[in-house]
Amino acid sequence: MTISEILSNYGERAGECEYLTLAFSPSSAPLRSRWRNNGLSADFLADYVTTFLPTKDGVPALEARQNQLKHAITYIANELLENAMKYHQTDVEIPIRIHLELASDHITVSVSNGISVLQAGRYQAFVEHLKEGDVEDLLLKQQEESARSSESAISSLGLLTMISDYDAQLDWRFDIHPTQPGSMTVTTSAVLPLENVSGASA
Amino acid sequence: MKNIHGESFEIRLEEENSTVVFKGALRLCGTEDYAPILDMLKETLINPTAPIVLDLRQLDFLNSSGITMLSRFVMEARGHEGIDIQVLASEAVPWHARSLKNLQRLMPTLTIRLS
Repeated sequence: MTISEILSNYGERAGECEYLTLAFSPSSAPLRSRWRNNGLSADFLADYVTTFLPTKDGVPALEARQNQLKHAITYIANELLENAMKYHQTDVEIPIRIHLELASDHITVSVSNGISVLQAGRYQAFVEHLKEGDVEDLLLKQQEESARSSESAISSLGLLTMISDYDAQLDWRFDIHPTQPGSMTVTTSAVLPLENVSGASA
Repeated sequence: MKNIHGESFEIRLEEENSTVVFKGALRLCGTEDYAPILDMLKETLINPTAPIVLDLRQLDFLNSSGITMLSRFVMEARGHEGIDIQVLASEAVPWHARSLKNLQRLMPTLTIRLS
C-alpha cells in the first residue's frame, strides 16, 4: 500500500483500528510552559502503541524490538508536536491536533496546525525540495546549515531524521481555512511501516 | 567539575579528562536553550586531553535541536587541529545506533563506541 493510499482513507476507519487524538489550544498557555507537554504527549502516545502492538501469531514482539518502536513513536510525535507548536499561527481558530492510528502493518502519526499563507508557501517549497532530493545529502546539508542558528533548518532536520533514521514515510496536506482565507491548516503525516520494525509486524 | 541540570536531564563536564557525561532526556526548545550546553562542550576544545569523550550512554532521548547542538560542536571541533572525539553510546538506547552515525559524516575521524 502506498502512503497516499494509506492516507486517502485516513481517519475514516473508526472501528477498524485503534486510534487516539489529542488536541491542544495553543493560545491558552505560552510556548515555553507548553513545551513540556510535547514530551509528555509523545511518551503517552508511544506507551499507548506498545499496549496495542500487533503480534505475530499471538506472540508479542521481543522487549528490545518493542523498545525500538516505542522510541521511534516518541521521537516522531515529539518532533511533529515541536514543529506545530513553533509554527502555529495563534489567531487561526483551530487547535493543534495529534492523531495516532494503529493498523496491522503500519502506524500513522499525524499533526495539524494553523499557519499563515506565507508560511505555508515556504513549507510547501521545502516539501517539494525534499521530495526531489536525496535524503542523506539533504540531511548533511541541513546539519551544516543548522550550525548557523537557523531554527527552520533545525525543524527540517527533525523531518529528515524521521525519514533517514526511522524509515518513516512523510506526506503533507495543505488546506485553506474555511472562514479565515489568509490562513491555512497544514497536516504533516508520518507513516511507520511495521515490517521495518523487526518482530513487530502483524 | 561543572554541571548543568534540568527536570529530566543532567550534564557534567569533567575537565581533567575532557569528558562530558549526559544523562536523562533532553528536549529543550531550540538553539537558545541549548546554548549553555554547547558552551560547556566547547570548553573541552581549549586544552583537550586526547581524546575528547562524549559519554551519551545514559542519554535516553535527544530531540532534533539537541542533535543540532552536537552537530554544531562537532563542526566547531573540525576547525581545531589534532582534535579527536570519541562518543560512548549504548546498544540499549535505540536512537544511538540510528542517529549518531550522522555525526561521523560531519567528522569522519570521530569514533563511536557502542556497548
